[in-house]
Amino acid sequence: MTVYLKQLILLLALGFISSTAAQAQTVTTIKFDQLQELRQAPHDTLYVVNFWATWCKPCIKEIPYFEAANAKYKDQPVRVILVSMDAVQDKEKRVLPFVKKRNLQSQLYLLDEPDGNTWIDRIEPKWSGAIPATMFFNNKRGQYKFIEREISEQELQELITKYKL
Amino acid sequence: MKNNRIPFLYMACLLLVGVLMAAIPASNNSGYQVGDTARDFKLKNVDGKMVSMADYKDAKGFIVTFTCNTCPYSVAYEDRIIDLHNKYAPKGYPVIAINPNDVKESPKDSYKHMQVRAKEKKFPFPYVYDETQEITKAYGATRTPHLYVVDKQKDGTFKVAYIGTIDDNSREPEKVKKKYAEAALDELVAGKAVSQPNTKAIGCTIKWREA
Repeated sequence: MTVYLKQLILLLALGFISSTAAQAQTVTTIKFDQLQELRQAPHDTLYVVNFWATWCKPCIKEIPYFEAANAKYKDQPVRVILVSMDAVQDKEKRVLPFVKKRNLQSQLYLLDEPDGNTWIDRIEPKWSGAIPATMFFNNKRGQYKFIEREISEQELQELITKYKL
Repeated sequence: MKNNRIPFLYMACLLLVGVLMAAIPASNNSGYQVGDTARDFKLKNVDGKMVSMADYKDAKGFIVTFTCNTCPYSVAYEDRIIDLHNKYAPKGYPVIAINPNDVKESPKDSYKHMQVRAKEKKFPFPYVYDETQEITKAYGATRTPHLYVVDKQKDGTFKVAYIGTIDDNSREPEKVKKKYAEAALDELVAGKAVSQPNTKAIGCTIKWREA
């Protein structure tokens, strides 16, 4: 029951967010459990989840590619989600100004889990902890791909095309 | 008799799971795993001299730390790397810091900038440059900071005893509860097996030279 409720809330949240896509997104602070829930989302949707931070140069370089993909597949079952690894203390001072300046439209989370050792292996044992890192998944179709490095715009396009419905 | 069989089966299952888990590598990344023999190196320090682990006749091991000038995580940990050295060098485990970043990809990680930073922070340990990235690749470091504690064996080789992070909070040193690297070093110094030899943290990706 709670699982369904959570899914319903997630769906409502996604619906709400897509209906207000004109302005830059708000950044929702989450804990690991919410990230795990997202990773296990049962929908027939391709999730593209990118881990980044405002202090990470290669991450910032590739954010426009994710933003472009978010716009391109807006009306398709593709969800682009940017998960910031910035410290929660830097949210107001660094993350929100960055989001506003870039007018980011993808769904935005900030993962408030300072001790990577407690959660990195639980989301992806192959991940050493370096960012940028990106995961692609459609759990309904059992599709999953993880990349721990910078991604090119072309590679991102190819992967989305490969996995999307 | 019958009652004894269930715990036995249970134990057997546990054992089987343990064996299977041990057989599956924790990571498919190339580079060293805990227990592997780490190679020595000959890299240029900020003072112009070449540094190798073999130079240290009395060391029991090393805290080989891949770190750099530019990564905010590395910068946040600079003082704690100095503390690690000051605490464990007298116990036989000095720090050797290695900058793995390619200068073209990350100009502020140049040898000149390393010299400036080492001077500013008065690093009490060598800060050497892996210009070809050969050592970084051999060790399998992927991010900064990334620690490899190696333990000198009787035959003079270096066995990897710990791979991972320094502690559980990069941003707020005063909130640190788990000092992962220190725990491993304390066990080594005490002649014990390292109970948590692998830890992970978020860090900056190493800036690899473009092929």
